[in-house]
Amino acid sequence: MSDKLAHLRRRNSNIPLHLMLLPGVLVTLIYAYGPILGVVMAFQKYEPALGFLKSEWVGWENFEYVFNLPDFNQVLWNTVLIASLKIVFSLMVPLLLALLLNEVTKNWFKRIIQTSIFLPFFLSWAVLGGVILELFSLNGPINSLVSSLGLEPTMFMGNNSWFRAIIIGSDVWKGMGYNMIIFLAAITGINASLYEAAEVDGAGRWKQMVHITLPGMMPIIILIGTLSLGGILNAGFDQILIMYNPIVYEGADVIDTFTYRLGLFSQQFAPATAVGLFKSGISLALVSLSYYLAYKFSNYRIF
Amino acid sequence: MIKKVVSSVLISTLLAASLAACGSSNENASNSNAATPTNQSHDANEPAAAPDPLGKYEQPVTVTEVIGYRPPEDAGTPKGITPEQNAYLKDLKEAMNIEIKYLWAVPSEQFEQKFSLALATGDLPDVMQVDTKTFEKLKKQDMLADMTDAYNNYATPELKEWIESDGGFTLKTVTSEGKILGIPSFEDPYMSTQLIWIRKDWLKNLNLEAPKTIDELEKVAEAFVNNDPDKNGKDDTYGIAMQKALIGWGFDARGLFNGFGSAPKSWLKGADGKLAAGEIQPEAKEALAKLQSWYQKGIIDQEFALKDETKMSEDITAGKVGITYGEWWVPNWPLNLNMDKDPNAEWEAYQIPGLNGPGKSLVGKLRLNSITVVNKKFEHPEAAVKMINFYNLMLNKENFEKNKAEDGYVYNWFQPRIYQPNLFDVIYDEVNKAIAANQDEIPVTDSSYRGINDVFLATKAFLAGDTSTRSKGTNWGLYASRAAENGGWGLTRKIRESGQVFFNEFYGLPTPTQLDKGSQLDKLIDETYIKIIMGDSLSEFDKFVSSWKKLGGDDITNEVNEWYEKEAVK
Repeated sequence: MSDKLAHLRRRNSNIPLHLMLLPGVLVTLIYAYGPILGVVMAFQKYEPALGFLKSEWVGWENFEYVFNLPDFNQVLWNTVLIASLKIVFSLMVPLLLALLLNEVTKNWFKRIIQTSIFLPFFLSWAVLGGVILELFSLNGPINSLVSSLGLEPTMFMGNNSWFRAIIIGSDVWKGMGYNMIIFLAAITGINASLYEAAEVDGAGRWKQMVHITLPGMMPIIILIGTLSLGGILNAGFDQILIMYNPIVYEGADVIDTFTYRLGLFSQQFAPATAVGLFKSGISLALVSLSYYLAYKFSNYRIF
Repeated sequence: MIKKVVSSVLISTLLAASLAACGSSNENASNSNAATPTNQSHDANEPAAAPDPLGKYEQPVTVTEVIGYRPPEDAGTPKGITPEQNAYLKDLKEAMNIEIKYLWAVPSEQFEQKFSLALATGDLPDVMQVDTKTFEKLKKQDMLADMTDAYNNYATPELKEWIESDGGFTLKTVTSEGKILGIPSFEDPYMSTQLIWIRKDWLKNLNLEAPKTIDELEKVAEAFVNNDPDKNGKDDTYGIAMQKALIGWGFDARGLFNGFGSAPKSWLKGADGKLAAGEIQPEAKEALAKLQSWYQKGIIDQEFALKDETKMSEDITAGKVGITYGEWWVPNWPLNLNMDKDPNAEWEAYQIPGLNGPGKSLVGKLRLNSITVVNKKFEHPEAAVKMINFYNLMLNKENFEKNKAEDGYVYNWFQPRIYQPNLFDVIYDEVNKAIAANQDEIPVTDSSYRGINDVFLATKAFLAGDTSTRSKGTNWGLYASRAAENGGWGLTRKIRESGQVFFNEFYGLPTPTQLDKGSQLDKLIDETYIKIIMGDSLSEFDKFVSSWKKLGGDDITNEVNEWYEKEAVK
């Protein structure tokens, strides 16, 4: 009897806490879920004056229109290529950094490195884009370095392969601090007694890393990898928009920049929405797939 | 333990993800947010008496607007002033009992995007100044108020004179089924006449003549690249300014294409009397071949394809380049900055070089800057016309002298503003008359006063070498663009008289296929042209022509010709 009472009392005392959640939930519903209703535009011949309620329903016409645009395949390929390379390197580079930093014993040194690696994460592409354009220009520092080595200066931003490499490299560099911190946190979470045991068994730093640190981090690595797969069609809109030019359209025009020109300059809202919906569909499928794979191969579940 | 780390990581990642999601849904959210204030309470009564173009409403009328604003032009304007604090708004309220409310105000470079989104949600202000493309959209969606009565009853005689100064040609283009749907603001189409501006001091340094043909231009430009025209002993100059927008608004290749009798992104009348797109004509290919050789010779910047107009203006200011194509206004920006930076700099305008002697420039049939329209939901279309009248009144001598920038009067923020179509000729004539008669003041007091007086003072100061109020470059910029006999407008007048032009025959609103495929085709043109200039084979041009036709170009050509037969005033 007293047990039940205590239970009830506990439940009552939780009510205010649950109420505190309410504003957050409401805001999320209104601002994150409400606008989702706008996807009906993708299936309409949308006329702003008529709104979504009265615009004519056209089914898959907008999707057909977009997929049949002559550039669409090229744009889709660019997007997948740039985004998947970004995903791979954004996983590998921070992992490597975290493992290396973990071996650093001087705390002050570790902190300085950690902070300076994290710093570019907070800068916007509007700022960084300009800096990178200057860095790689014909008269920029990179090219003076190149010519001091006796090589021909290159117009990096006007060359499709270089441009992609710079896009990917700068994005990895900008974002690597974030995943690195997460990986470092994962390393700290590994039970220290495992290392002690390994030392007793005569394992060196390398063996400890391969047999304890990496397996201990595996769930996090899989988690981050799974979550980032959802971004396979996000090649980085603002970054590319700021840095591209007509010469590299061929290699750098991605779904987002394409949709931007379609939706905002030609004011074709419905096809632009169709592209957005297509992207979300692919992301959802990939996240589900990778989630399933992660469960199957490492018996790991997020939810 | 691992579980704990995982969950905290998960939470932080989800947080980050939801923040990102917020970022992307913000646009939608802010729009649905702004949906509330569209329908203002228009509680004013109709004025009972006969329509008075300058009269005051008895009850306050609230007019909503949106604005994309640049910084105030006058350096004396109080710092930190916002469009809402513009002193003209206060005067408008006093004079006409009209209150302007801005639904939103953003810097001008964000305007197009923001306005597109507002258009997508149908959440539009009462009065707006739009371009032809937007006008056509709004017209099709039946969102525009009929302004026929407002125009007929409320436009001042002066405004009517301006609007009908071209025989009603422009007004006809904004009239549909007998209803006037907007008040057009247009200028002399010859304002887009291409000229070539050359550093005269560099010509003198190298003992060269101003070029008349494209071949001569090439020789001059090569000399500017190789022979150290600024005599500073360094190899730091190139020939001709050019940037990635080849058919843009400044420091671009329009003048060169025109010299070859070609005009990409324009519609030219062919031998068969039909209109044809300039970008696919053989003359455009010849011009591209020339540009390609210029690129190889270093006459144009090796990185022109990465640079925009602002970047190019910096090169001109820094004295790196000695030739630029451009319209009448180039002295006003950035040549004036170069003059201030380098006391030796002298720029002179010439007719563009052609194949054999001076070439003809392209001009439009119509130069429609904006159309002032009223939202159909708004009950007082005449308020828009009255606001135009109010602003024109503010330009006369009495008001102009009273309304100082120091007191918060920012003219370029006020909307709607309508240009006086022949203002440039009036300025040119009046300033030259006053200077010739050695007057201290101009006799004009009406709404052209402001425009004339500015140029008059600058001209007087420049000719007297007086730099007490403005720098030499600023004075020269106003003088050389608007009043000098061989300056921007002076030379343009001569070209207009001699008829050394050819016409872009299409002045209609964008056709359905243009709206549908226009951005794809523009991308194709920009990409192909720039690649050819940077060394792609010229045969790419022929491939481009056939894909242009297939991708909608042929359909657009048919639509444009249909328009030409039915609607063009020939």
